Amino acid sequence: MRTAFSRALIDLARADPSVLLLTGDHGYALFDEYRRCVPGQYVNAGVAEQNMVSMAAGLARVGFRPFVYALAAFVPVRTVEQIKLDITHDSLPVVLVGDGAGLVYSHLGPSHQSAEDVACTRALPGLTILSPADRFEMSACMAHAGTTRGPVYLRMGKADRGDVHPGAIGPLHAGHLLRVREGRADRPGLVATGSMVTTALGVAGVLDLSAWSAPVLKPLSVADVCAAASASTGLVTLEEHSVLGGLGAAVAEMTAEHQPTRVLRIGVPDRFSRRCGSHEYLLREHGLDADTVCSRVAAFMALTKRADPIRPPLP
Amino acid sequence: MITRATSQDRARPDRRFEPARMRRTVLEMAWAGSAVHVASAFSIVELLTTLYRSHLRYPDNDSRSPERDFLVLSKGHGVMAQYACLLEMGWLDESHIRAYFSEGSLLFGLSDSRVPGLEVSSGSLGHGFPVGVGIAMGVQRKGTDQRVYAILGDGELDEGAIWEGVMVAAHHRMDKLMLIVDQNGFQAMGRTEEVLALGDLEGRFASFGFETLAVDGHDETAIDRAIGQLWATGAGKPKALVARTIKGKGVPFMESDNRWHYQRLTAETYAAALAALGFDAAGIAAGDATR
Repeated sequence: MRTAFSRALIDLARADPSVLLLTGDHGYALFDEYRRCVPGQYVNAGVAEQNMVSMAAGLARVGFRPFVYALAAFVPVRTVEQIKLDITHDSLPVVLVGDGAGLVYSHLGPSHQSAEDVACTRALPGLTILSPADRFEMSACMAHAGTTRGPVYLRMGKADRGDVHPGAIGPLHAGHLLRVREGRADRPGLVATGSMVTTALGVAGVLDLSAWSAPVLKPLSVADVCAAASASTGLVTLEEHSVLGGLGAAVAEMTAEHQPTRVLRIGVPDRFSRRCGSHEYLLREHGLDADTVCSRVAAFMALTKRADPIRPPLP
Repeated sequence: MITRATSQDRARPDRRFEPARMRRTVLEMAWAGSAVHVASAFSIVELLTTLYRSHLRYPDNDSRSPERDFLVLSKGHGVMAQYACLLEMGWLDESHIRAYFSEGSLLFGLSDSRVPGLEVSSGSLGHGFPVGVGIAMGVQRKGTDQRVYAILGDGELDEGAIWEGVMVAAHHRMDKLMLIVDQNGFQAMGRTEEVLALGDLEGRFASFGFETLAVDGHDETAIDRAIGQLWATGAGKPKALVARTIKGKGVPFMESDNRWHYQRLTAETYAAALAALGFDAAGIAAGDATR
């Protein structure tokens, strides 16, 4: 997936000399090829993320297309105000790439883990938020980012959890859900994003459920979310992000307003990680491992089967 | 290809940019809108008038010309003084001044990039200058001779993002960028030296690799000369002009009285301030029939 990112960025930079990569002193090895191919379009802006984001706004104002790369914990989270005032207020074409989103920096602790980046940015007007699940979605997201006229936040997990699509996917359409598995309509459906799409596919296979990937978190298509809701007895959202303010929140907001259904939000609970350990260890700690997800979805399935899915009884 | 603007684009001898008239416009706005930050605007009047009259290039008088110089008001609190200059440039008209702060009006109490002639949205401090650094990097990459000016408050220098930008500007040898500090000695809650001491500002900027000069920020001739001198010296270095100013300059009872960061005009103080600037209650100068 990271190779797909690097390759797409090189292609964009070669095709358009106004593309400029700014990095906050991150991306060791990731940009070796980029620097070899387009050395003049690379700026290491130093460990100075606030200035880097504002500077990207200045560059965009005079015709450049900056891609700003940092860890998600720093861009966007550290620089939300710069993104708000300097970039989104004027709809400037800046692409912010937040790497290592979620729990993947498990051994490094809370400074580098980021389960709040989508929540922090989703309320910024006009910001497109992308969250690819595999290399094919990454290529499509980069193509989308390269042609979008406004600001983009591309959320990137560092861990590559394998392909979820059999091959290249077509151009992304704003907010569209991608169906990755067809399952039974009398059961809940799964809507997942980023690293959790792989988990969703596994669980959907076990329980014979439909599953969708959401590579575009904002804007999210109301029609697609409602269609998923009406094609199932309830929706389960899966994300390596807080249950507050991310995909689960967006789906719950939309269904509550347009297509009431029961929604189970599976994500990082509203707390920091407690212990040090591997990425897999932290996924288990937060209940995001395949076994825990499978049993939670099974319990939800039983719940939504018992009665009218629109108004199921409380457990 | 961006063409070189001529000196005619830069100099506007036909436009007077008289400081007293600029301050009168500020007072009219503050009175019309019951607005604050009068003293913050008064301290940058001569910096702005000198820049607009003699330095900033706007080909075809177009505020959005791709060939223009850039003036970034990083201390957005002084924006009323810039509105007065934008009026003189013809990019605003009297109705904007009279309608200040009325429902549905265009002009905010802090700099907003949607207004013709304002490059950035500021007021949250520490934003404008780093955006200016980005503009300067873009200009440098394009190889044009466009210049970028950023006016910062001294209180604004508390913000860490400013010093990030200062380091980046020096490292990348942005010699088309000039940082101008409005050193009026005050920030919102008191004297800068009491809140967070800045010490020797010229020394600080020089140590960061800037070509630096200090100037009386209310002496237009001196400002003009200092700007010219900074551009002419220190090849490869960004410029810093430390302008010693007086917060509330021009109206004696406002000068260095930090209450005028917040205070609103009354009928009495409005008339007294106009009188101090040499205007009668209708805003007309002695012997001046024009508005």
